[in-house]
Amino acid sequence: MTLIPWKQRRPESAGQLLPASGFRTEMDRLFDSFFSDAPSVWGERGGWPSLAWQPAMDVEETDKHVLVRAEIPGVKADDLDVSIQHGALVISGEKKESEERKESGYLYQERRYGSFRREITLPTAVDEQNVKAEYKDGVLHVTLEKSQEALPKKIQVTAK
Amino acid sequence: MTTDVNTTQTAGNDAERTRTGQWFRPPVDIVERADELLLVADLPGASKESIDVDFNDGQLTIEGTVPGRYDDKMNVLLAEYGVGNFHRVFRVSEQIDSARIHAEYTNGVLTVHLPKAEAAKPRKIQVQAM
Repeated sequence: MTLIPWKQRRPESAGQLLPASGFRTEMDRLFDSFFSDAPSVWGERGGWPSLAWQPAMDVEETDKHVLVRAEIPGVKADDLDVSIQHGALVISGEKKESEERKESGYLYQERRYGSFRREITLPTAVDEQNVKAEYKDGVLHVTLEKSQEALPKKIQVTAK
Repeated sequence: MTTDVNTTQTAGNDAERTRTGQWFRPPVDIVERADELLLVADLPGASKESIDVDFNDGQLTIEGTVPGRYDDKMNVLLAEYGVGNFHRVFRVSEQIDSARIHAEYTNGVLTVHLPKAEAAKPRKIQVQAM
């Protein structure tokens, strides 16, 4: 996935995301319940296990850093894998469903489980030795430092 | 035993409310165990202090505030998710012992334990010989 800078900053209060995301959640739920009611050849829980969920991500940049955030609620920091491969940031891991919950019956299921993998082409070259990844309250924060070559260079114009 | 858990849409089934800002409807799992109902909600980015769980007259409300995150020095390259407050209401028809409801929040996941009242628990009755 290649990143193209946004032309316009979206105000947080725009409220555009709300109806669309609510609609999508509802469609996902209908879709899931339709397939889980049918006898399943795809997996024990029905549905399409191969259509794994993907965490939503944000990428922002400042003069010196690239900041990546991913919403990955319900995993342990140890189960997350962050790496840089060929100029792309790769985040993978697994959101596990606890055995206890599997055994008792679901009355309602909207959350997604399973493994995921996302690869994002970084907008500039980064210093691969200087990557910080933190997981807090279900959000993974990755801070990458732009490499020296990628920083804007100021060229002095001399008068003759 | 039949259990009936109905979910209501964001506005709840009470009077319509108006709200400012952006509101989200977090995904929720509800699991029934022998002695409790378990409600699990994905609330990434919230903080423990900002989450409000309220049980009143068979209606469970989850509400919270998540601060916005954009700062003016940032140049946004990709924004796939919104950040804002969340709100959900559930009507729980099981008899719940409201005094023992408790909730925990770890790794962005809120778990609410709703213990069943003694009267609603399955009970084995001993048959005695006369």
